[in-house]
Amino acid sequence: MSETRHTLDELQRWMQAVVTHPRGVALGIESDQAQEQIDLVPEQAERIVARSRALSALERLNIYNQAYFARLLECLRHEYSVLAAALGEELFDAFAVGYLESHPSTSYTLGSLGADFPEHLAATRPARETRTGDSTDWPEFMIDLARLERAVNEVFDGPGVEGQPLLDLARLVAIWPQHWPATCLVCAPCLRVVKLQFPVNEYFTAVRLGRTAPVPQPELEFVAVTRRDYRVLRYALDLPQYELLCALIAGEPVGTAIARAAAVSHSADEVLATQLHGWFQDWTANGFFRDVHNCPRRSSCL
Amino acid sequence: MVERVSRSHPECSKPTVCGPWASPLKFFESPNMPPRLGNPDLGLGVGLRTVHFNHILSEWPAVDWFEIISENFLNSQGRPRYVLDQIAERYPIVMHGVSLSIGSTDPLNFEYLKKLALLARQVQARWISDHVCWTGVAGRNTHDLLPVPLNEESLAHMVERVRVVQSVLERPLVLENPSSYLTFADSTMPEWEFLSQLADQANCGLLLDVNNVYVSSVNHDFDPVEYIERVPHDRVVQYHLAGHTNCGTHCIDTHDGAVIDAVWELYERARRLTGGVSTLLEWDANIPEFPVVHAEVQKAKQFFDASTSLKAPGRSSASGTAESLPSSRGPWPARGAVSNPLAFIVAGDA
Repeated sequence: MSETRHTLDELQRWMQAVVTHPRGVALGIESDQAQEQIDLVPEQAERIVARSRALSALERLNIYNQAYFARLLECLRHEYSVLAAALGEELFDAFAVGYLESHPSTSYTLGSLGADFPEHLAATRPARETRTGDSTDWPEFMIDLARLERAVNEVFDGPGVEGQPLLDLARLVAIWPQHWPATCLVCAPCLRVVKLQFPVNEYFTAVRLGRTAPVPQPELEFVAVTRRDYRVLRYALDLPQYELLCALIAGEPVGTAIARAAAVSHSADEVLATQLHGWFQDWTANGFFRDVHNCPRRSSCL
Repeated sequence: MVERVSRSHPECSKPTVCGPWASPLKFFESPNMPPRLGNPDLGLGVGLRTVHFNHILSEWPAVDWFEIISENFLNSQGRPRYVLDQIAERYPIVMHGVSLSIGSTDPLNFEYLKKLALLARQVQARWISDHVCWTGVAGRNTHDLLPVPLNEESLAHMVERVRVVQSVLERPLVLENPSSYLTFADSTMPEWEFLSQLADQANCGLLLDVNNVYVSSVNHDFDPVEYIERVPHDRVVQYHLAGHTNCGTHCIDTHDGAVIDAVWELYERARRLTGGVSTLLEWDANIPEFPVVHAEVQKAKQFFDASTSLKAPGRSSASGTAESLPSSRGPWPARGAVSNPLAFIVAGDA
């Protein structure tokens, strides 16, 4: 028995502070979070944790400390396997440890662990002017890769349309032209669109297939990610297609969505009209839409 | 992102049993508890892992039952859940959780419990299990199975929470002895006694992980045979078997290999005391082809005959898996060994 009993809550908060400390258990014991619960120095750890025949209290705590980071880093490497391959394990882990420090898991599922990793990378990237001697935009490439990978993972295990009716092309064709502007398309819940500063889609495919690929030069890229029959599919988009789908996913009426596409299109009206016809046909065939209905009147439609 | 909803009962200022939870359901209070809490002996099962999905869906192997990691399916609306539904139509399913955190001083997560109950209904889970541990506090989840001090305070805290959980799930909870790597100076009782009192006072079942008994016996210098002999045998609903890594000074529950002979010996001893109890093999790292995993759990069949000697000849053992009781410490250090209480599903898995 220890001299002073500590409550279960004190022990748990102390132990969590110690075993999740990124710089080891000794510094963990000295951390403010641990000291707030139990005021002792590392040499006094055996007041809390008994030693075994073979290991001291610090060594036993260290098993949990190492396991905490090893386990969660393995999960992040798995979830962001393409990014990890691009960066190499050591560099990836350096970013991931920083992420785990600022975004510790608060969920019962590890499926949420990496949800904010792309935004963490974006928020912590060095300003371009501070990157002396480095003219490349590799931070942006890395962030784009993370965004695409997260989108793929979300679509993989998120809500889908398997076993549910999808919009039939015949219903779309049957809509009178004058009704189109006020029509709303219900998008598949698994449909995402991603805007990227680097063309990472092909790079992503190559790494997934185990091939090496050069880091591409910066160039805007737009990708639609969706799922059919439990397979994640990615479609390259151009800017008007991206704007159109963004608006449709946001619930905008077709008329508003087309106006957004037209605003960024360099095609003549007649050409764009033909393109739109083809896009809607293809996307309907690819299961982008579940239903069609008249849009409720709302300010964004006016 | 799935939000963790940590809330106590509206009438409670701290996690405690109050309001309607204060009255345990009558069926938990039966004085004549049947063996295994009335649960069936499902036979020999295998932990369901994503790398085996395609094999299972194409071959429908002759496995008695599957155990799932509950958290991998609670929110799944993709292929993992589709595969589970297919499997649940053909095999008995048991749900094994890693995030209940029954020992934590944080409030119970009722949203999580509701999801557990829903999934259990949907896959007709035979029972729901988790661990005697805590996984985090102050709203965090370390995703590790952390030990509690084995004393009266922890016991009372857990008994109360198990009762609440059982009321929400409307079924007895089955709790597993975790592998652990430290003990607290504040502990006042051995683990087998803590488990016995917990099961008795909370009226819950036990998942006796024989490999964990062995691993913890090495790490904490106790006699695993005494542990096996002292746990309440009529409350053992399920066994776990797994491989581990001997690091010389301690063992890590890595679930990355075959079951060692010493663990088989403990299993045989336990089985003599409990009678037939559902037995499951966990394999979570360096996972081989499904037939290899299946063959490993099938080794348990040789212990089904109660007359089998503890030193029965001809018992198969995988190479490099021989350790004897009491714990002998191998000379092979294993740097970087990490306990493996969970399996994780992400895109691209089979």
